[in-house]
Amino acid sequence: MIELKNISKIYESNENNRVTALKDVSINFKEGELILLKGPSGSGKSTMLSLIAALSKPTSGEVIVDTKRISKLADTFAATYRRNNIGFIFQKYNLIPNLSVEDNILLPLIPLNLSEDEAQKHVKSVMEKFHIAHKKEIAVKSLSGGEQQRVAIARANVNKPKIILADEPTANLDKELSLKFIEILRELKSQNKTIIVATHDPLFFGLDFVDREIEMLNGELLV
Amino acid sequence: MILSPEILTLLILNAILTFFAIIAFYLSLRIFWKYDKNSSAKSQYELESQSYLAATIIKYIFAIKIPLFLFFIFTLDKLSGSIVGAMCAAGVVDATDYGTPLLMLKILNLYLFAYWIVLHNEDSKDENQPYVREKFAFYCVAFFLFIGEIVLEFVMFDAIDIKSVVDCCGVIYSSSSASYLSYFLNMNQLVLLTLFYTLFLLMFLFYKLKNRYAFTLVNLFFIIVSLITLISFFGTYIYELPTHKCPFCFLQKDYHYIGYILYAFLFLGTFYGLTLAFKEREEGYKLSLFFNSAYTIGVSIYPALYYFKNGVWL
Repeated sequence: MIELKNISKIYESNENNRVTALKDVSINFKEGELILLKGPSGSGKSTMLSLIAALSKPTSGEVIVDTKRISKLADTFAATYRRNNIGFIFQKYNLIPNLSVEDNILLPLIPLNLSEDEAQKHVKSVMEKFHIAHKKEIAVKSLSGGEQQRVAIARANVNKPKIILADEPTANLDKELSLKFIEILRELKSQNKTIIVATHDPLFFGLDFVDREIEMLNGELLV
Repeated sequence: MILSPEILTLLILNAILTFFAIIAFYLSLRIFWKYDKNSSAKSQYELESQSYLAATIIKYIFAIKIPLFLFFIFTLDKLSGSIVGAMCAAGVVDATDYGTPLLMLKILNLYLFAYWIVLHNEDSKDENQPYVREKFAFYCVAFFLFIGEIVLEFVMFDAIDIKSVVDCCGVIYSSSSASYLSYFLNMNQLVLLTLFYTLFLLMFLFYKLKNRYAFTLVNLFFIIVSLITLISFFGTYIYELPTHKCPFCFLQKDYHYIGYILYAFLFLGTFYGLTLAFKEREEGYKLSLFFNSAYTIGVSIYPALYYFKNGVWL
């Protein structure tokens, strides 16, 4: 379903400042798999997620999702691809602090031009599913870290994506909230979504519902 | 060279546009030679990024060229006050050998750049971007015409001698003039008008038949016939003077700047018509018919009103 072919990614602000985030990486992810990308900071996990989400382009190589060469897409088509296929949970959640919970979750639906009733139905459904409906009118800046994360998860799921990418999702959570997040992952996995989690949180290691754990170091996959 | 504020503005803007046009040309050449959409090599990703940059530059050059063309006409018109004998932009255009070719080249370049935009839009609508190489090859050709225009403009302004007496539009476009235009202006007006309205009606016929090549061809002839009839017939009703044949005077305040509107209609109508040669588009037919109809109605109103007011034709 997701195929990375000979992917290299070099961040280069000038000739003296080159950072190679990924070195000739090739890997496949199957539909419905839950994969952990493990490795220390700077190992290339986030870069790989951003390439799969078409948030950035590789320096060379190809990312193919369902036969579509997404690394070759122009920005407008990449945005459409993301909107239709990807739910991204960021480490710092990337919510809009002054908007309410409901409005933050509603945002990805705006370009779809759904009717107000239909959009509200979608939003209500995910708010209930991720237990945040009771805070729907509160600005997200007033929420705790765990609640903000639930909003981020709800927002990532509101467009019913088939791929969920999570970048260090528990980095800002205590153990109890991290375990709750893991339960949410289990539920998402049961819905046959393809999930890739980049983390170095040991709580994720050895979980029974994780299909593969992939170790990364210095932009390479450790086999 | 006359260094009026308007001419200085044009020269400075031309210098800036040339700088960016050269960058876009260099990038376009690279893209044309090396672009391979199937490749996933580093150089290909760099070319893809550069294609955005080049396309953005070309779009902005075009966006500036449209108002700059109007400003150029305005400048010529204003300059006519400084040149002995010139009553409007026509005198300034005719003051040197470069004026008429420059004006033709400017109009041609406007069509070419607008055509490039259509090509670019079609390319951007498809996620496989099927026309990348074609659109940049097209720009490489248009670039030389654009540079030719810039050079010709500089040479024309440099060659204008304010001490020389020039002809006014009344002489330049008169039937007795020795210019090649006089041949067309001497043509029988009934024949010209029949041709003008027939071409207009043919557009509707070819729209019904969905024959885009015939539609394009008709538009091409419509530009030429429209300009001739505008000077030789319709213009005289705008000026309400049978001897006043000029394609510029109605751009002036005295005539409520109506020329700008008429030319805009004609440009847009024929432009959309010509783009159909590239691709069958219902929207292209409709926009072409709308603007060409607006132009035809716009110019036809003047003789009709004159006749209703005075009971006679000029």
